[in-house]
Amino acid sequence: MPLAMPAAKVLRVSPKWLLLLGLLASCSSTNSNAPVNLNAGLPVGAVLSLTGNANVYGQDQRLGLELAQAAFKPGSSMPLNLIIEDGGSDEAGAINAFNLLINQGTTALIGPTLSQQAFAASPIAQRRGVPVLAPSNTATGIPEIGSFISRVSAQSSVIAPLSINKVMQLDPAIKRVAVFYANDDAYSTSETTIFQKAIKAKGLNTVTVQRTQLNDQDFLNQITSALRAKPDLVVLSLQAVDGGNLIRQLRELGFKGKIVVGNGMNTPNIYPICQRFCDGILIAQAYSPELKTKENQAFVATHKAQQGGRVPAQLTAQAYTAYQVIAEAAQRLNKREPLKGMPLRQARLLLNKEILSGTYNTPLGKISFSRDGEVKQESFYVAEVQMNPDGQTGRFALLK
Amino acid sequence: MFDISLFVLMLLGALLALAVYLPLRAGQLSLATPGFYTIGGTVAALLSTTVPELGGNEQTYPLTSVFLELMLAIPLVALLAFLIGKPVLKLKGIYLAIATIALVEILRVVLLSSPWFGAAVGIFAIPQPFEGPEGYAAAFAVLLGITAWGCQRLETEPLGREMAAIRNDELAARCMGVNSERVKLIAFVLSAIIAAAAGVLAAHFFNSWSARQASFDASITTLAFVVLGGSRTWLGPVIGGLVLTALPELLRPIGDLRLIVFGLVILLGPIFIPQGLIQQKRS
Repeated sequence: MPLAMPAAKVLRVSPKWLLLLGLLASCSSTNSNAPVNLNAGLPVGAVLSLTGNANVYGQDQRLGLELAQAAFKPGSSMPLNLIIEDGGSDEAGAINAFNLLINQGTTALIGPTLSQQAFAASPIAQRRGVPVLAPSNTATGIPEIGSFISRVSAQSSVIAPLSINKVMQLDPAIKRVAVFYANDDAYSTSETTIFQKAIKAKGLNTVTVQRTQLNDQDFLNQITSALRAKPDLVVLSLQAVDGGNLIRQLRELGFKGKIVVGNGMNTPNIYPICQRFCDGILIAQAYSPELKTKENQAFVATHKAQQGGRVPAQLTAQAYTAYQVIAEAAQRLNKREPLKGMPLRQARLLLNKEILSGTYNTPLGKISFSRDGEVKQESFYVAEVQMNPDGQTGRFALLK
Repeated sequence: MFDISLFVLMLLGALLALAVYLPLRAGQLSLATPGFYTIGGTVAALLSTTVPELGGNEQTYPLTSVFLELMLAIPLVALLAFLIGKPVLKLKGIYLAIATIALVEILRVVLLSSPWFGAAVGIFAIPQPFEGPEGYAAAFAVLLGITAWGCQRLETEPLGREMAAIRNDELAARCMGVNSERVKLIAFVLSAIIAAAAGVLAAHFFNSWSARQASFDASITTLAFVVLGGSRTWLGPVIGGLVLTALPELLRPIGDLRLIVFGLVILLGPIFIPQGLIQQKRS
């Protein structure tokens, strides 16, 4: 066998490949001056993390969009044609899904699931003039990406401090705080900074900050060194699985004080993990299933009917809300300026304006948008987890 | 539907595949590529977001600054690869693979635990040197072109022949007077340079950069490019990188099944075409 391949052979093959790739690359993109394709309804895309490590969020969101589809289709003059694509859990996946949907002629996009994906993918939509409504991006700086980018998910810097305020109301004697977060998780590290600021602002003393890893199961070391510092309050910024396990071990090792958790544990999925030990943890929420409005009660009822009595998670409610906002904006726009025959570029521009200018009665309560696309939500909630005696089910009881 | 952004990602895949291919050409299975890729990207992300002088007055980020980032990232990574490669390349086969996986893991933990590198959140809003993906496609194509040209030259250069000799039989090559330590180290450093250069461009393209780029998954994916494409000539990894990056996107019409089919391709590829898509003709 020769040590090297003859040069001519390789060189003969490569131009063909390059030509083929060039051809493939050149057959892209839609004409944004062509009219909107309304055959199946107004095309709207959604990019959700249905695979990868954020897939549990994507599944909750898909459920919200499907419920919204059923709720807003009947009798509407401008039905939406929702196309859901998997954006994976990384930047490249979101970029690909965004481009695909924009090329398919969608008038607006819902997503992507993760803030990091938004920082990579949303600038593409901004450049191409496609409105993006994010249902779950809570990092600072998302609407600032551009005029076409808005969100229904309030940022964590607004929500997280509320639970600290609440726990101080409930127990003014609290002085010493132990903080836990997963240092390999973007959500966890950004939220803990907000928590730690809020703790400091309240004049409390952070006695220890313990780092964990997203995939950790055993927290014995961190917990024992935290307990040595004798905290009155434990504040966690962790996801459902690791957070649930940590709470369970924390209680088993004898911690009796209050526990405040962040947005990552804002899901009924924590019940089976920390079981009876979930009881009494405090959480600030952008959505409460217990909100007594007509819209929310209808949403909770359909969710329960379809999901065997389970109450909706915040991500489901926010995805539902994103769909509702676009559906209602499209109705209003179509009434004023019929979308039929309108060039795609103009439809996207007008739809974006319409989304930002409206007020919406959603399961989250009444919402509207600031000029740069940040959600203005009337009320946030602090809830306390109350577990049923079976230790497997419970509820987020709204604290007044 | 084919998109230019996907084309950019395909070119990136091909570049990373070449970075895995080079040490493999000298018979060394190194999985450190994502590590050097991440360092390149981190250098670019840090410089472009923290040094305002690099930004210039134009709306887009100046290309000269990107070039400067490359000029800083490449020597840094080359030096690192040299220092790491010296001891690590004494290992062989699976032990080298494990050691390089550990390297990537160490790097990931270092990046995660230092706020200076953006910790788990990463570095955001990296300025854009190009208006759209077309510019990136051109830049990546140039980089891939230069790399491929270099690899093609290796086929006829003494260094390339020495690498092939080591892959076929290191002991025999040494007996023939090949300085195998030196050759392996050069292959390792070259591979690191390619990965770092790709990282510099990728950080701008992705607009955000974090330690998650340096994951074990990334090591395995880039290895799969080479395994499926074939590791005997440089064209194999290039085709493997292009095809395997595009495949999950081209399979989108089949919906949720697409990743299963993608997995099957990776599984069945080596079984039915163990030499890879591009094979070397025996003569």
